[in-house]
Amino acid sequence: MLTIVLQQGINGIVFGSLYVLVALGLTLIYGVLVQINFAHADIVTIGAFAAYFFTFLFGGNYLVSIGIALMVGAALGWLVNATIFAPLRERGSELLPLIATIGVSILLQNAMLLWFGPIPYAFDSPYSNEVIRLGGGTFITWQNLIIIGVSAVTIALLYAFMKFTMMGKALRAVAQDRETAGLMGINPNQLIMLTFVIASALAGMGGAMLGPILVLTPFAGTSVIVKAFAIVIIGGFGNVEGTIIAGLAVGLVESFATQLVNPGLTDLIVFTLLLLMLAFRPTGLIAEKREENV
Amino acid sequence: MTAPDRVAAAAQARPATAAAFFCSEGLHKRFGGVQAVRDISLNIPHGSVFAIIGPNGAGKSTLLNLMSGLYQPDAGRMVFDGVDLVGVPAHKRVRLGLARTFQKIRLFKQLSVLGNVIAAFHVHHDIPAWQYVVHGAAFARDHARCRAEAINLLRFVGLEARASVLAASLAYGEQRMLELARALATSPRLLMLDEPAAGLNAAEVERLLERIRLLRERGMTIIVVEHNMDLVMKISDRVLVMDYGQHLFAGTPAEVQANPSVIAAYLGAMT
Amino acid sequence: MSSGGGLALAGQSGNRRWWLFVAAVVIAALPLVFQDSYWRTNLIVCAINIMLAIGLDFILGYAGQLNLGHSAFYGIGAYASTLLIMKLGVPFWMAFVCAVVLSGAAGMALSIFAVRLRGHYLAIASLGFAVIVHQVLLNWISLTQGPLGIYAIKPPPDIALPGLPVISFGNTANMFYLVAAFAFLFYLLLDQLVRSPIGETLTAIREDEVSAASFGINCTAWKVFAFGVGSAIAGAAGAFYASFVGTLVPDAFIITESFTILAMVIVGGMGTLIGPVWGAILLTVLPELLRGFGDLRLVLYGAALTLVVLFLPGGLVQAVQILRARFGLLRTAGDAGMRR
Repeated sequence: MLTIVLQQGINGIVFGSLYVLVALGLTLIYGVLVQINFAHADIVTIGAFAAYFFTFLFGGNYLVSIGIALMVGAALGWLVNATIFAPLRERGSELLPLIATIGVSILLQNAMLLWFGPIPYAFDSPYSNEVIRLGGGTFITWQNLIIIGVSAVTIALLYAFMKFTMMGKALRAVAQDRETAGLMGINPNQLIMLTFVIASALAGMGGAMLGPILVLTPFAGTSVIVKAFAIVIIGGFGNVEGTIIAGLAVGLVESFATQLVNPGLTDLIVFTLLLLMLAFRPTGLIAEKREENV
Repeated sequence: MTAPDRVAAAAQARPATAAAFFCSEGLHKRFGGVQAVRDISLNIPHGSVFAIIGPNGAGKSTLLNLMSGLYQPDAGRMVFDGVDLVGVPAHKRVRLGLARTFQKIRLFKQLSVLGNVIAAFHVHHDIPAWQYVVHGAAFARDHARCRAEAINLLRFVGLEARASVLAASLAYGEQRMLELARALATSPRLLMLDEPAAGLNAAEVERLLERIRLLRERGMTIIVVEHNMDLVMKISDRVLVMDYGQHLFAGTPAEVQANPSVIAAYLGAMT
Repeated sequence: MSSGGGLALAGQSGNRRWWLFVAAVVIAALPLVFQDSYWRTNLIVCAINIMLAIGLDFILGYAGQLNLGHSAFYGIGAYASTLLIMKLGVPFWMAFVCAVVLSGAAGMALSIFAVRLRGHYLAIASLGFAVIVHQVLLNWISLTQGPLGIYAIKPPPDIALPGLPVISFGNTANMFYLVAAFAFLFYLLLDQLVRSPIGETLTAIREDEVSAASFGINCTAWKVFAFGVGSAIAGAAGAFYASFVGTLVPDAFIITESFTILAMVIVGGMGTLIGPVWGAILLTVLPELLRGFGDLRLVLYGAALTLVVLFLPGGLVQAVQILRARFGLLRTAGDAGMRR
């Protein structure tokens, strides 16, 4: 019994870490731009495919492919911001960019479907099968360790960056009040671009690490993004700490739910939680009340 | 019937039942760590012009938002012509006879000037429900009536010639006047103006003053939150000075001008 | 032009009656022109999509509520009517009305639930709702038979009027007339509402809720109303879909369906009512012309949606207005805005 709990706990942390990576991207973008990038999911998927092709077509090292996926993600982030969010920012519409990214998402997903086909790709990282036995009958694969390790390091670096560096502080300034930040010599457009690049790089990385443990199809990202939305809302849009906590929580809840309930229902559970969250605390777990400027 | 006449008629149809047309007692409002409004009590007699002034951040707009129903107070009472306002949402207060303009211009940019005013007639439509689907005679009459009254209102604020223009293309001063016309469309008995003179040049302020005077003559009670001291001194019967969300001083314009603590709070900003 | 719906493609009032007449004639003629069942099927699907699109436009384009869960109401309508008929033996038209009411109620429930949510939060809540509905349809096997689906759903019952030949809805032409007639009526209903003070009220809410409230508009009540009407129409579309296609699977109502309806609304021209009609027609017919390319259809949807938002946010309606202005047919420069 304990074994199961511990094992699911480990699984929960593994998945949770990946969810956090993906959700952090969403929340960073929202924090700085008050916009949702629906195509974020597809950046995850493309990251996964990029890692796959690097590893299997070019015979590259899996760990290096994570880095490749990071760069691919970053490039896509740059592209999406440059072609969609930046031009639409002048129009001042709140919802048009979101709709545009829905369009991009549909486009990317189905283009991938045409190119790669719907049949899942077997993305076996060399680390998936090597197992370390921990006490109590539980085990962890090297892949899972890599995931936890890379995620933890990345998240820690990001957190430090946001809190302690000049640029990180500038980013938070732009998130709070873009106009004033601009008046203080910060170039908000550059920072927004930086945010996009970082967020999408995280997504790409997440994809590369997800590839071996999930089913790799053009829809791989979608299965994660819906949970990422839930996490961002539970943690609070734009709230980095909240997202980290919420991400790990959702990972754990999901793991235990698969054990206790019909696995087909996990999505239902997560989404009901999401709706409940929206009903009672739409601003997230750790939120501040903002006065609307009338 | 011109718009100001209609306003006067509305004011007379329900004469003030109490000496204080609008009064509040101990209003409190907090936002996160900031006490925006603390213990504000005021008394506004019917048919007067009441100004609320104070340095930036004094809580004037918050007070107005409490009065118009955008926010609900944490504590305190508000009574308008005998009706308790606490807990009454903003849209219901309009039917009671309160109207307001906003500090930040909130016009419907995609609509024409006329369209903006007509949209404000929401509470005055007189159409049986089925005629919203099958547009019958009552519908046509209501449509014509609203149009005519809207044009009257535009004439009152001097925008008649710009009726079919897109609201977004009006000059700033004209936009402020359109805001006034929209608020008047609800036939209020108490009109709250949030910094109506902000950004207006001297001539436009004069025109605004004229309008307020005319409205007052027709029996409307007006509350003005303002920074423009000239306007406040010329038009108000009573002035409330706020600072840090609290009641600093209240009195006639002359008294306010002479009061040392008011002068200190403004540090010579009064002209 | 201080109020009123999309006039760019349908003209003003007397003009409007003329266009409605033309539409009626075209609807009557279509099954005569297209005699093969393949194209007739497309026409029926087109009519269903028009219903879905105008319902969503009422919610999104007029009331300004970003509803990404429209597929849920479509699915609720389809399953509710089918289950009532097949499990409880309820006659078709009564089941139809129940399905419409149920979908409308679901829409109102979502709206009430989401009443404090703005913009993005509402979008996600509606998306979450659609996912939940889909998951319920998929997993509640005892009720819906889950992914296996429901089969042998019959079309609406024959209508036998004295003295006239029996009208059977197994005949695709008759089915088309039925669905198109409802689509036409729903359009008229929404058009009348939108050209009344209700349209102005919804516009006010869309543009600025705080302002709207300062005119006495009860924003919550009207948003719920818009959601109720739009989702009820989606429910009707679902009921027709089920009785026409004959089989029902939960995957017909995944969230991608919400996005395709959204694409029809945006590409046609959000907030104009006639725009979404054209958008639905374009995005139903065009992919059929590119039949051989399967998934290219959705790629097109995605591309169309993105490009329209970036370069022509008013959709087809705006495109027509630009063309008309070019050719000097628009006389007033005044209200040249894309919406009014």
